[in-house]
Amino acid sequence: MKSKRRIFFCAGAVILLLVIAAVMMVIGRGHTLYFDNVTLEYEGTVYEAPYKAKITVNGEKAANLGVKDRGMATWIGQNFEMLITLTEEKGGAEQTYAVNLTLPYGMDNIIVNIPAVMAGLPQEAWCTEFIPAVPEEPEEEVPGGEDDLTITDDFDI
Amino acid sequence: MSGKKNNSRQNKIQLFLQRNSVPMMFILICAVCIPLSGFSAGHLANEIVTRMGRNTFLILSLLIPIMAGMGLNFGMTLGAMAGEIALIFVADLQIWGIPGIILAMIISIPISMLLGWMCGVLLNRARGREMITSYIISYFVGGLYLLVVLYMMGSVIPIKHATIKLPRGYGIRNTVSLLNMRQYLDDLLAIRVGGVKVPVLTFLVIGLLCLFIVWFRRTKLGQDMRAVGQDMGVARDAGIQVDRTRILSIIMSTVFAGFGMIIYLQNMGNMPTYTAHTQIGMFCIAALLVGGASVERATIGNAFLGVTLFHLMFIVAPAAGARITGDSMIGEYFRVFVSYGVITLALVMYEMKKRMEKGQAGQELALAQREEESGK
Repeated sequence: MKSKRRIFFCAGAVILLLVIAAVMMVIGRGHTLYFDNVTLEYEGTVYEAPYKAKITVNGEKAANLGVKDRGMATWIGQNFEMLITLTEEKGGAEQTYAVNLTLPYGMDNIIVNIPAVMAGLPQEAWCTEFIPAVPEEPEEEVPGGEDDLTITDDFDI
Repeated sequence: MSGKKNNSRQNKIQLFLQRNSVPMMFILICAVCIPLSGFSAGHLANEIVTRMGRNTFLILSLLIPIMAGMGLNFGMTLGAMAGEIALIFVADLQIWGIPGIILAMIISIPISMLLGWMCGVLLNRARGREMITSYIISYFVGGLYLLVVLYMMGSVIPIKHATIKLPRGYGIRNTVSLLNMRQYLDDLLAIRVGGVKVPVLTFLVIGLLCLFIVWFRRTKLGQDMRAVGQDMGVARDAGIQVDRTRILSIIMSTVFAGFGMIIYLQNMGNMPTYTAHTQIGMFCIAALLVGGASVERATIGNAFLGVTLFHLMFIVAPAAGARITGDSMIGEYFRVFVSYGVITLALVMYEMKKRMEKGQAGQELALAQREEESGK
């Protein structure tokens, strides 16, 4: 009886930890977002980039973009929230929009197209993955090389 | 009557001085070094509070094996390695912030438990030589860690991100960036008191561990550990499963060391993959001993006092050394020899005390035999 109870509690603890881990994996997924203020053509329609777009994330100014500019912010979780303050033309009035986006889980670096977001286009239109080019790097010195792990005798015989 | 009172007071003072000679020596060293270092009180307070948040959890993880009579657990390095492996996985999964820290802790649990169990079983076979055995086990597992992290990760164990992997395609880089979880635990709920940043959440986590230790001492298992720590033979006669209890104490210590390492590294913001764990056991043990603990007796207060004094010396010694000799490295050498020196002193004192007790017991036995013979 006692061992049954122990097994029950152990299994419960393991399940609880697994559930917490799963929740953490969802709510803690980090993304780097790149905001592109560039004109986009989608399904034959052209969506013009606004003259200026100020982006605020978590109450902090993340980017101030002119046409063809790119800004960057980081975000934890799948539901991204930002404020976009748009100036459509030079000298025009500013208008602020609260925008919520659902970020794809599998992407680390996401390029968000601002005109597409403002036009309310689907995810495939405003979201593309940014894959950074990996530069050729010299071999990094790693531990376990000859200097570190080779055992020699003191007398070098 | 008053002579007896005086004697007992003298004995008490002598005992107090004996027990607290190491912390008092450190207080003296710090008292000399602080004015020489030229640091302001605010700077020192800030540094101490930061280091306290960073290290105390790790030091507290040493208390349970001491309670079970297994001495200073040099095998806490195993937990540190488990924490590092968990952080590599979390960095690869791109889980950031507090969720990343929690996930790393959860991932570290089974690895720590496995390593702790292995260490506990080996220590049971090396009874009486636990400290040196755990020290060598940490080197042995350090080799396994190299094998896993340097050759298996990226080839056998899938690692996705090129930023973590070595350019050759497998193995983990010398440094893993934890910028996306850097000081998240420390900054959440942090308050400023007179210019000093107090990481409230980190201290809450440390406080929880303290409460756990206090509660655990009163549980059946905690009482069993204390009994095993006092006398294994008597504990066994009382029906306590000595081996199991000792293994459990090491497992718990290893798991807490894993958590402690994660807290430590999130504060630093980067992880030196191959060197982060190498000195951690030594410094934590030194800090605990500086706080007045011994091989067989350690309290939560020792951990707090130790981390304060030891790290105060860490901060002021190089600057004081530079002031006195013009070379900051002198202070650094001083710090290193004091940390190793204090461990040596504690081990020597422990061994001396054990021999003295053995000698006393022998003398008492001989006296009893003589009395018995004369009675016949």
